[in-house]
Amino acid sequence: MIAEETLKILTESAKYDVSCSSSGSGRKNTGGIGNGMPDGCCHSFTPDGRCVSLLKLLMSNDCIFDCKYCMSRRSCDVPRAGATPEEICELTVDFYKRNYIEGLFLSSAVQKSPNYAMEQLVRTVKLLRTKYNFHGYVHLKGIPKADYELVTEAAKYADRMSYNVELPSEKSLRLLAPQKSKESLLLPMKLLQREKAEFSAEKRKGFFLPAGQTTQMIIGASPERDGQILRLTQSLYRVTGLKRVYYSSYIPVVEDSMLPAMQSPALREHRLYQADWLLRFYGFDVEELVPEGEDLPLDVDPKCAWALRNMHLFPIEINRAPLEALLRVPGIGAKSAQKILTARRYTTLNFEHLKKMRVVLKRARHFITAGGKFYGSDDTATVRGLLTAAEQPKNAKQLSLFDAPSVLFSLPSGREAALAALTGEL
Amino acid sequence: MIYFFDGSKDAFLTAFLLAFRDDSAVFTAGNRQLSLGQESIFVRTDPQKALQCEKRLMELDKNCIRELTLLLRSGEEERSQIAFDYLKLIAKRKRPVRCDLSQDAVIAATECMRRVTYEVHRFKGFVRFMESESGALYAPVSPDNDICDLLLPHFRERIPEIPFVIHDVRRAKAAVWDGSHSFTAPLEQAEIVLSADEQSWQSLWRRYYASVNIPSRKRLKQMKGYMPVRYWKFMPEKPAAATGDLPVREPPANHKECGDDVLHPLGSS
Ligand code: SF4
Repeated sequence: MIAEETLKILTESAKYDVSCSSSGSGRKNTGGIGNGMPDGCCHSFTPDGRCVSLLKLLMSNDCIFDCKYCMSRRSCDVPRAGATPEEICELTVDFYKRNYIEGLFLSSAVQKSPNYAMEQLVRTVKLLRTKYNFHGYVHLKGIPKADYELVTEAAKYADRMSYNVELPSEKSLRLLAPQKSKESLLLPMKLLQREKAEFSAEKRKGFFLPAGQTTQMIIGASPERDGQILRLTQSLYRVTGLKRVYYSSYIPVVEDSMLPAMQSPALREHRLYQADWLLRFYGFDVEELVPEGEDLPLDVDPKCAWALRNMHLFPIEINRAPLEALLRVPGIGAKSAQKILTARRYTTLNFEHLKKMRVVLKRARHFITAGGKFYGSDDTATVRGLLTAAEQPKNAKQLSLFDAPSVLFSLPSGREAALAALTGEL
Repeated sequence: MIYFFDGSKDAFLTAFLLAFRDDSAVFTAGNRQLSLGQESIFVRTDPQKALQCEKRLMELDKNCIRELTLLLRSGEEERSQIAFDYLKLIAKRKRPVRCDLSQDAVIAATECMRRVTYEVHRFKGFVRFMESESGALYAPVSPDNDICDLLLPHFRERIPEIPFVIHDVRRAKAAVWDGSHSFTAPLEQAEIVLSADEQSWQSLWRRYYASVNIPSRKRLKQMKGYMPVRYWKFMPEKPAAATGDLPVREPPANHKECGDDVLHPLGSS
């Protein structure tokens, strides 16, 4: 059994990776233990509001690289630890059968060399699948600069892999993660994507990353604006076929003159997730959301901001508008839009109906008519005022008093929190 | 008229046959109580009438009986009335009504069912097994709705080689997988002898839970929204859940939870 102290060190070095999703794999139980749950599953929640789905660990936090923002970097004086493949397999299976976790998210510092670190990961996942007969979810981190043979070998056993882009521009990457390069991160993503396409085209046996690839960017450690970040995001979705881009607010864990001393506000991260959601599910293009050199507004969510810039398109009649138009109404999400489509087949919907159906009208009423009736205000300035007030009912006063990140963290509430749950595990 | 019945599906259907034309019918599961100013009857199951009623309803909407069983599992007071109003609307319109989403009866039924299935979904994550000496797994639960047997297929597919018991301590019943059969059985108390390593795995889990938390980002309100405090009782991470920190001393094992007569060897307090 792994020592508690070791587990503590290896967890604390891994916890800033925000990805914890266990969705996308339908692996079946074919003898042994475990299966995939395509929609994912949260097993617990920690006081920071995050979901615990996977056992998130580093194999070792002993790194030869020296990324400025990372507390496992070579030049940092922290206790080092490592676990053997057997220890990790045993821990995974024993946690899994007690239903503590949905699977394993294994990563590693660059211990000794990129190839050595990657080999350790591959050995562990192979052992887990073959000797321990484990069919639960496994997410492996790719080690930059490891040989491609090792990477594809890992992909045969893992459900998901991720290379973290880390920073939103090449310049920041060179500055803050000198041993990594854009190619060492993007190239393996593209190769894996190609191999996965071939795998399914040839209908080969077995698995090859059934849950695809994801990546993560640190927000607020470097000067890129939201517009630039979201353009990178959109191209990652379109070019590398990524399943998810995660954003992680920068939290200072090490001091460095090149890094900000403040943690980046959670609200900014939240706005990025909202915009990301609009790109993936609501048919928005990044050009509609934010210019390249600007940030998303903090006072209203990105869909509201877009609607306020496009007041000439509203109001729309909810008994006639097509799905695409309903989805663009501030406050109406995918679920509400579907409910409206279904319900309006039976009667002409009015505001009473919408309320009973729990369609949130606080924001939406300025942008819709129901049975020809309009209950909002059509003056842009007034609407903007009402919307920002609607968004921050109780916290507004606190905000002006203590405008510190710790206050911003407690901000998103109500519908915002629901959205945060959707945007995943945060 | 107030219709009392024992809460079972067949008794409901028997009563439904008597009541569906009665616009002021009140449906309630449980024992006949004193009711002021209103007539009431206690309806006993008549298997033949129940079958007849089920057949007729199935002709109108082939999914409505499945929905009825889901509604009757709800822990809400008004579940029988909600089910009655919903089925009455089907009987009146003589066709499925579930898509008429702005109707009160449909809204109430949909939301009631959603709360049951949502709890099933949550418990796929929140169930905590402990390992007994024999290797079988035991999980005490206390859900809002009567769902322990609905959890069974999920875990049977996941750990088919390990026998397990999911014990609803509130309703004194258990869903059991013995390695080849699954069934439900009444169960008041369970005495479990834990495996030698069980406490160590629980304490490792607590350690993991406390380490993966980011203290500078405390958002307890959200956390409790996702994982309500009433569900913490049987989770080994409970001592760390509110603060993210481990208590200095481990709580004693075999700790008796007050208000609950099941002795559970979790040691969570
Ligand atoms: S490679 Fe960089 S980010 Fe990864 S563990 Fe090493 S120092 Fe940290």
